[in-house]
Amino acid sequence: MVTMQYPLETKDLSVTFNPGSADEVVAFSDITFTLKPDEILAIVGPSGCGKSTLFNVIAGLQPATAGEVFVNGTRVLDAKGQVGYMLQKDMLLPWRSVQDNVSLGLEIKGVAREERRAVADRLIAAYGLKGFEESKPGTLSGGMRQRVAFMRTLALNPDVILLDEPFSALDFQTRTLLQAEVLDIIAKQRKSAILVTHDIGEAVTMADRVMILSRRPGRIKQIVEIDLRRDERDPVKLRSNARYQDYFQLLWSELDI
Amino acid sequence: MSWSNLRYLPGQIGLALLIFGLWEGLVRAEVLSAHLYGYPSGIAAKVWGLLSTGELFKHAGVTAFAAILGFVLGSAIGSFAGLCLWLNETVAKIVRPFIVAINGVPKIAFAPLIIVWFGIGIESKIAIAAALTFIVSLIATYNGTLETDRDLLRLMRSLGATRLQAWRKVVIPAALPWMLSTLRLNVGFALIGAVVGEYISSQEGLGYLVYYSGVLYDLNGVWAGILALMVVALLMDRGVTELDRRLRW
Repeated sequence: MVTMQYPLETKDLSVTFNPGSADEVVAFSDITFTLKPDEILAIVGPSGCGKSTLFNVIAGLQPATAGEVFVNGTRVLDAKGQVGYMLQKDMLLPWRSVQDNVSLGLEIKGVAREERRAVADRLIAAYGLKGFEESKPGTLSGGMRQRVAFMRTLALNPDVILLDEPFSALDFQTRTLLQAEVLDIIAKQRKSAILVTHDIGEAVTMADRVMILSRRPGRIKQIVEIDLRRDERDPVKLRSNARYQDYFQLLWSELDI
Repeated sequence: MSWSNLRYLPGQIGLALLIFGLWEGLVRAEVLSAHLYGYPSGIAAKVWGLLSTGELFKHAGVTAFAAILGFVLGSAIGSFAGLCLWLNETVAKIVRPFIVAINGVPKIAFAPLIIVWFGIGIESKIAIAAALTFIVSLIATYNGTLETDRDLLRLMRSLGATRLQAWRKVVIPAALPWMLSTLRLNVGFALIGAVVGEYISSQEGLGYLVYYSGVLYDLNGVWAGILALMVVALLMDRGVTELDRRLRW
């Protein structure tokens, strides 16, 4: 049987902490969804619904108690390099220059120095950090650091990008700017992405679909299609768009915070 | 101690002069016994005498050589071993109680053993200094590797890094500040090792000078030896500061 291959697909994912013991906690269960090509799917939920655990499982950083995650039809644990992720923490190596941070993944893959320099310099120039190639992360602002982290994610050219509240530590202006930039890059490079966030506005602004999780134990409560064109999705202009406000209200009431 | 901050130098010299002046005055007024405490002018004369015969340089040179060589060997091997322990958790768990046990004992207690094994020459002093600094570096560096940000290690894993790659690219640089900070502690430990070795048995070195001056109730000689040890310690500390400045990211 030939089945459609999705960039990312989960089947009956569950995570239970301390299974079988008295302090057994079900983080989430029966999470089944697909991520379509070129799509951004946001995952929102009340705090404590297991969003971060779900993210870690999808990223292959943590095993699930039951169920599977597939990336292009391969189990995520065997799909190293096809999934890139970006967290709230930029996780740049402070002893490495911007250039060497961006090319870290290529270095691990064994790409020759000249080639990875070229890839890194191209990304750095394209995303507005030209002149900072040799700078250490400690000398950069939070927004610049997050941009470097995003370039590091892109350097390996993954099909799927996983974002776990990557903008939440930034100030409003920087956040808005980066949201627009990341949205643009994901669209242009035809990546698929999952965005975990607690910011409903961010979910409506960036995602094509928003998956709402219930309180713990987290289950999929509803998946809302956000019918906004990519060219409408300017983070600032969108705020005065009536449909944006409707989606915002809908998600807010469904979240039962 | 900051060398560049000269603003406090007058105050520091003033404090030293005050202490030495008071000390000298109390000895001259025969409140303090010159015999039991020594006195600054006597110490100065002693230092001058030892300098003019070249004896002080000889003793200081012997002690500094033993301390520095022991320091380099112990710190280097200890740090490297500490880094390597991260690579294999099973080995680390097996050796951990032994390291803790050895670390709990005042390591100077091993000195007589080392003198029996390495003889009464400079080799045993180097070995004691090396043993002391080895264990300190080993523990501090291993603890440093355990402090590596787990998220960074997960990132490395997700980028497809092997454990060896994660070790080279993340664990070692992350542990570097720990290793460098330990070097400063090790200056003291290396000197303790060399001097204790000289106390136990030797014909030369600052430990020998201090010990025999003490036995002969030549308190000015004891103080002269202590002052020379301070100079050696400061110079070694200066060297470590320079190394730290070059290596720290």
